[in-house]
Amino acid sequence: MEEVPIIEMKGIVKIYPDGTKALKGVDFSVKKGEIHGLLGENGAGKTTLMKILSGMLPPTEGKIYVNGREVRFKSPADALANGIGMVHQHFTLVEVFDALHNIILGMEGHGLFSKIDVDKARAKLQKLMDELNFQVPLEVPVETLPVGVQQRIEILKVLYRNVDVLILDEPTAVLTPIEVKELFDVLRKLKEQGKTIIFISHKLREVMEITDRVTVLRKGEVIGTVNTNEATPQLLARMMVGRDVVLRIQKPPKEPGEPILRVENLWVKGDRGEDAVKGLSFEVRAGEIFGIAGVEGNGQTELIEAITGLRKIEKGRVILNGKDITGRPPKELYNLGVAHIPEDRTHMGLILDMTVAENSILGLHWNAKFTGALNSIKWNTVKAYAQELIEKFEIVAPGVDAPVKSLSGGNQQKLIVAREVSKNPELIVASQPTRGVDVASTEYIRNYLVKLRNENKAVLLVSADLDEVLQLSDRMAIMYEGQFVGIVKPEEVTEEQIGLMMGGIKDES
Amino acid sequence: MIDMIISILLGSLTAMVPIVLTSTGAVVSERAGVVNIGYEGILLMSALFGAMFAEMSGSPWIGLLGGAFVGMLLGMLHGAITVYMKGDHIIPGIGINILALGVVAFGITAIWGTAGQHQVPSNIRIQPIINTPYGGLSPMVLITFVIVFLTHWVLFRTPLGLRIRAVGENPEAADALGVNVERYRFLATVYGATLAGLGGAYLSVDWLGVVTKEISSGRGFIALANMVFSGWNPIRALIGGFIFGFFDNLSVWVRTNPAISQVVPWQFVATLPYIVTIIIVAGIIGKVRPPKWDGRPYKRE
Ligand SMILES: Nc1ncnc2c1ncn2[C@@H]1O[C@H](COP(=O)(O)OP(=O)(O)OP(=O)(O)O)[C@@H](O)[C@H]1O
Ligand SMILES: [Mg+2]
Repeated sequence: MEEVPIIEMKGIVKIYPDGTKALKGVDFSVKKGEIHGLLGENGAGKTTLMKILSGMLPPTEGKIYVNGREVRFKSPADALANGIGMVHQHFTLVEVFDALHNIILGMEGHGLFSKIDVDKARAKLQKLMDELNFQVPLEVPVETLPVGVQQRIEILKVLYRNVDVLILDEPTAVLTPIEVKELFDVLRKLKEQGKTIIFISHKLREVMEITDRVTVLRKGEVIGTVNTNEATPQLLARMMVGRDVVLRIQKPPKEPGEPILRVENLWVKGDRGEDAVKGLSFEVRAGEIFGIAGVEGNGQTELIEAITGLRKIEKGRVILNGKDITGRPPKELYNLGVAHIPEDRTHMGLILDMTVAENSILGLHWNAKFTGALNSIKWNTVKAYAQELIEKFEIVAPGVDAPVKSLSGGNQQKLIVAREVSKNPELIVASQPTRGVDVASTEYIRNYLVKLRNENKAVLLVSADLDEVLQLSDRMAIMYEGQFVGIVKPEEVTEEQIGLMMGGIKDES
Repeated sequence: MIDMIISILLGSLTAMVPIVLTSTGAVVSERAGVVNIGYEGILLMSALFGAMFAEMSGSPWIGLLGGAFVGMLLGMLHGAITVYMKGDHIIPGIGINILALGVVAFGITAIWGTAGQHQVPSNIRIQPIINTPYGGLSPMVLITFVIVFLTHWVLFRTPLGLRIRAVGENPEAADALGVNVERYRFLATVYGATLAGLGGAYLSVDWLGVVTKEISSGRGFIALANMVFSGWNPIRALIGGFIFGFFDNLSVWVRTNPAISQVVPWQFVATLPYIVTIIIVAGIIGKVRPPKWDGRPYKRE
């Protein structure tokens, strides 16, 4: 007899209030104790499906069974009570609370008016963390912690509730390779303990490595479920996209030209007043992609913010096309031809409550092309422009008047990339440009960056995805504690050497 | 000299009560993410109805409870609109303030048959627990201290407080963990308005002993400012309220003291409570950050 699946979703339809049909009758089933991958292009409906399973959203139609018993979730509380917990694509942490209070929130112990037993909670948490070998600092405000740690807190939050089914929506998008490895160790341990895990990722390599079975969604429908050991990345990509994906970048050799960006002895402080960038000097030339690799939190963010005018420069100079732009405001930099794809799309790249059209001209809104009499914005022109971006970059959006928050995560990212590269810049500063973006679009964005390089633009690329840096860069620097351990050509180093350099060790041989 | 100091101190404690109560309530409400600018109106209406309840029952304590009850009802109205119907947070407050102007003007005439003002008989006013030649000390001062410290404790030490702060900072996070966002937002809103109601009744059945159309004289708004200066912290709001009360009294004393008021124009002195409160409270805390979702409705989709 067939074992009853722990999760069974039948005929799930989801129509959002604005009429978007995100799911068109999805059947999805998960066996107890497996790691089940969920794949699909940006906007395929993965997050929507999982939000329904975790009680965040009601389905428009369809039924959910847990261990063969039909359930109806009115809120995440109901799902948690049935042993289902979700870690969201966009973190949901109370930033001013410490990890401990974020984790115990809603499960603080008995009595709403009794004093919270912090010691007891800490002991319980410490035990959980020791079991999994998965540590986080419990008593500092989470906003001061790096994203990788915040991610762990999110996971601990759900595990603390003793769930049987753990849903992880693109947990690795913000992690470094080492952190991914650590996460996978934890997932394997959880599996040993009998937990069931649903794992969403755009990185086929990860899905191949960690999952037992994979379900592929496309445009709100299930394409199929396969056993991972019978699948190949090519097969999965084809199921997702409906055509063959090259997964390769065409990069013709090219002789770089004049330096576009020159950074001289740059010193920048971090949020806590520490020296985050310590005397960096480098240049990015026309027709060159200069990549910066390194474990996140080694000053990359501060460096980029300083160059793009978002952070104070303590010492040193930034020179663009021979002109000193040290400390100039972003608007002036834009006029001089600097475009910026920021690393954090929801805080810096987009205004989530504004429409796609409005967001598509952020930073361009004073441009003569979009303004009419008395500097009023010509909305029809703007909307046409937004529509153009949507088509050119294949952004899945309900329309130009939809608020950006109704776009899927990857499509939000594509909108930023589309907007920035379309500014026709001299220098493009791209921070994690393909974070959360599906394979086909990743390919597109990477090729676009190469295209800009071929058109003699300068590209400064920062990415936690080492493959991305290796694949795209003409030259790359490895950053460690605010300094470059070295500047190398990707084809002249091994991944091992880079791994060492990312840890601050320079191979002298 | 010493008598002046004692009298100003007693006066400060007396004047601080309605502001501190309202600020404390507002802190809780905004910590949960609900802005209410209707405290001025709540103070006014509770002053009226508090006095009415006191006279009907013959007990000033019933009057205070009645005032708190009126505040609670108005808080439930505000909560229903902002929390459950996801409405705007400012407009209902404006509505309550405007409503209060009419209700109180009309109420005084309708209830007591006088126009514009009603004197609360002294036998149904709260009696001081301590009497000195320089003035008395109302039990409400002590009750205010207790309320502030209890509120502070609940807000920062208990599960209830943690949830209230969570729904005001990041309701999505709270929701995902099964915390009923609407319930805690509503409770906090009602609590805030209830404290303001108590403060309003205190004006008429305790401190001032009258009901007038202007009895709140801006205290609802001052309380809101004090809440901001306090960095949304009940104990700091208590200190801020006391400083305000102190300079308020000092300015009255200066104004009535010809030797000084000839040198310093009284109008200047009258602005002192505001200026000094801002400087001291804001200066001590420095940068404060409001709750992140303050004033924003939360919807899941
Ligand atoms: N709140 C919303 N209102 C309207 N439409 C929405 C909303 N949220 C998502 N959608 C739409 O539903 C579809 C599915 O979105 P979903 O977020 O589930 O995609 P996804 O598979 O998780 O994509 P990604 O990989 O980019 O995260 C998209 O077309 C998206 O625009
Ligand atoms: Mg998603």
